[in-house]
This record gives sequence, structure tokens and C-alpha cells, in this order.
Amino acid sequence: MLATRAIARPARRLCAAPQCVSLAQRSLSTTPAIKAQHVSSDAASGTAAPKKRKPLTQEQRDFLSSALRVNQSGELAAVLIYTAQGPPILRKHPHLRPLMAHMHDQEAEHFKTFNSLIHKHRVRPSALYPLWSVMATGLGWSTAVMGREAAMACTEAVETEIGGHYNAQIRTLLEMVGQWEAEGYEVGPEITDLLSTLRRIRDEELEHLDHALENDAKDAEPHWLLTGVIRAGCRGAIWVSERV
Amino acid sequence: MACPTSARAALRASIRPLRTVATSPSTSTTSSSLYRRPYHSYDHPPPPGPFGATETAILAAAYKHVPEHGFTQTALTHGARDAGLPDISPSVLTNGPFTLIKYHLITQRQALAERSRQLFERDNAPAGVGGKVAALTWERLLANKDVIHRWQEALAVMAQPSYVPESIKELAALSDEIWFLAGDTAVDPSWYTKRATLSMVYTTTELSMTNDHSPDYVETGKFLTRRLDEVKSVGGALGNIGQWVGFTANAGINILRSKGVRI
Repeated sequence: MLATRAIARPARRLCAAPQCVSLAQRSLSTTPAIKAQHVSSDAASGTAAPKKRKPLTQEQRDFLSSALRVNQSGELAAVLIYTAQGPPILRKHPHLRPLMAHMHDQEAEHFKTFNSLIHKHRVRPSALYPLWSVMATGLGWSTAVMGREAAMACTEAVETEIGGHYNAQIRTLLEMVGQWEAEGYEVGPEITDLLSTLRRIRDEELEHLDHALENDAKDAEPHWLLTGVIRAGCRGAIWVSERV
Repeated sequence: MACPTSARAALRASIRPLRTVATSPSTSTTSSSLYRRPYHSYDHPPPPGPFGATETAILAAAYKHVPEHGFTQTALTHGARDAGLPDISPSVLTNGPFTLIKYHLITQRQALAERSRQLFERDNAPAGVGGKVAALTWERLLANKDVIHRWQEALAVMAQPSYVPESIKELAALSDEIWFLAGDTAVDPSWYTKRATLSMVYTTTELSMTNDHSPDYVETGKFLTRRLDEVKSVGGALGNIGQWVGFTANAGINILRSKGVRI
């Protein structure tokens, strides 16, 4: 019992910000912040002379390319996990069909978003793409065969890691933007759009986490082992696909 | 006596700015970013190019001497003279002739974007990604026209062990550029196979072009078409096999599921 609580805590911490007290508000939580940012930059460029944009440093370009690459691999894996979970889960629990379809469709949309970003910014996709495909399908199918609770625990573990991972990226991007603003440079729509996309996707991933918890993810046996292994695997895969 | 002293003073004066060019961060980042494929931004100003201002001046002038003198130190010396710099100045280019080769590769690759705009605006523009790739590859090969009789020497320099990584990197950048300009949006594992096969086709065709004496390089054109067709048929066959395997596996799983197997 102690172990399960320890694992659940970081998931909670992701939404510890005062805006996301309740579930319904969360999807709206970050939108006002982005709008305010847009307005302020528009107003600034409208009154003063047009500000210049700073060239991206090598580190920033490396960060952005590895961020897009790992996000594409992650969303590919998510789509395949839900696809593979579908048939075994829905055979035993047909009432989950709308939920599984909803989560799958959202992941498919995220995957499409990152595919087009990867192409647009000419980033190399992960060289281990086939490996991620096989592993994600295997993970989705095997947890689904173990039952509804195990499948939901898999979702819980994956989305916890993914949420933290997106938050780390958003934090780095905000640091970049803050530095530019402090130095008096303009922040282009490319980065602000990326930020809002990441925030939207992060919120949707955390919504999946809530759905998993509502559907008895905690009752999986043995929950600590299942989520521990999957989360360690996720962290490893993120580390590798940022590089390869 | 006065003459050499003034020459030395001029040399010293011209060397100083050259030094700063050679040690500027632009040159150091290019060598460290050898294997990276960095994020391409549309909003932000591009990072500094691979060559500094003085380097570009020498290389651009030297490039005009390549048809006569080849990718050699002589061409660089002539170029430095044309650019109004002392004969010693090409020594800022630490890789000497290879830098001149790299200059050719990079400028011709960058010129492709403009050429593709002209090519694909026409009414008889090739339709489909495959046709565009063939057209762009042909354009890039034709850009070697003026230096093709010197290209075997250049290939020999590029094959020297210390230059191989950079040469391969340039080849990869070229095939990436061609696929991108052709409008290919695939970002799955075919991203790699497409670039690898195009690199292979390009190098073999280029090699055959160095021995081609036919008018307008018709033989090379036929060679390129044959290679691209081969790649297409092999790729098509592999694709068909993959599709068949996928379909059969899917059907098999579905049959098992319909029989009540819990998978």
C-alpha cells in the first residue's frame, strides 16, 4: 500500500498548480496564460519598432530536434498501445469502447501533429522506430490480455511518465522564451505555437491518466511491479530516442 | 629592400582578420555538429554559414579557377590573388583543397532550392514525388558540368580517411535536401531507406558521369533513369511482400479471435 501511494504521488504533482483543482477545469487551465502571452507580444510589437528574433543556438536547435523526435516516437508508441489493447479489452468489457476510441483518436491526432512538425522542421525520425513499434504493440497487447486493471495500470504508468516528460520540455521552452524576452528579443509564433501544442497535448495525456485511475488502475495485481517496470521502460525509451 | 618589408606588413595586416575568421565559433560548431541533423527554424535567423567572410571571398574567387587548375592549392592561390589577398592567405583554410570541394558541394546543394522553384513552376513540371526526385537529382548532376573533368581528383581527395566523414555528411545533406524539396513527407523508417538509396544512386551516377563524353550527358541521363527504376522496382517488391505479410498476419489473428481464442 505504501509503495502504491509513492508511485501515485508524482502523477498528482503534475497538476499541483492551482488552476487544475478539478478535472473539468484542467483542459482550460493553460489557455489563459497563452492568450495573455500572445496579446502582450502583439501589443509590444504594435507600439514599438518591430523587434528582432534571436538566432537559435546550437544547444537550442539540438534540444528542439531531440524533443520533436522523442515526442513523435512517444506518440507512435501510444497509438500502438491503444490499438493493441483494443480487441482483448473490448471483448470482455464492451462498455469501454467509447473511452478506448476517444483515447486512441486523441493519440492518433498527437502522432499526426508531431509527424508534420518533424517534416516541417526537417528533424530526423528516431532510427529505432521499428523497435518502438514492436515494443509498444507487445506492451499494449500483453497488458490487455492480463485484464482491464492491468491495461489501465499500463495507461497510468505511461501517461505519468509522458506528462512529466512534456512538463520538462515546456519548462525548458519557457526558460528559452523568458531569456529572449529579458534580452528584448521577439518570440516568434513558431515557439509560442509549439508551447501551446505541448500544453494541450500534456493536458490530454493527463486526462487519460485520470480515466485510467477512474477505471481501477490501482486494483491491478501486482500494481507496484507493473507500473514500476513500465515506467522504468518508458524512461529508458525516452532517454534512448532523444539520442538515436 | 623596401619592397619585401611592405609586403610583410601587408601580409601581417591581412593575416590578423583571417585568424579571427579561422577561430570564430562558426567554424568550430560546424565541425562539432557533424552527425547532427538540427532543427530547421522558419522564424529565427539562420545560424552562421560554414565559411567566414574572408574564406568565402577566397573560395568564390578560387572556384572560378577550378576548371583550369582543378581542386588544388594552385586554384586557391589564384583565387586569393583575385580577391586581393596575399598568396599565403589560403592557409586559413586548414583543409586546403578539400575546403574548395566542400564549397562546391555546399553552394550547389543550396542552389537546388532556387532551381526547384523554377523547375516546378513550369507547366510541364514532373508530377509526383518520384518524378521530382529524378528531376532534382538530374539538376544537381548537371551542376557538376563545369568541373566534371576535375571531379575524379576531387573524389580521390574526398576518399581520404580524414575527409570521409564530412564527405558522407554532405552526401546525406544532399539527399535529404532533394527529398525535402520534392515534397516527400514520410517520417517513418522509409525516411532512412529513401535517403540511403538516393545517396547510392547519386554517387554511382556521378561516378559514371566523370567518364561520360556523350553530348549533353545523355548516357548519364539514361544511367540515372535505369538506377532509379531499379530502386523503384525493388522498393515496390519489398512493399508488396510487407503488405502481404501484414495482411496474412492480421487475417490469421482475426480468424483465431473468431474461433474464441483469447488474444
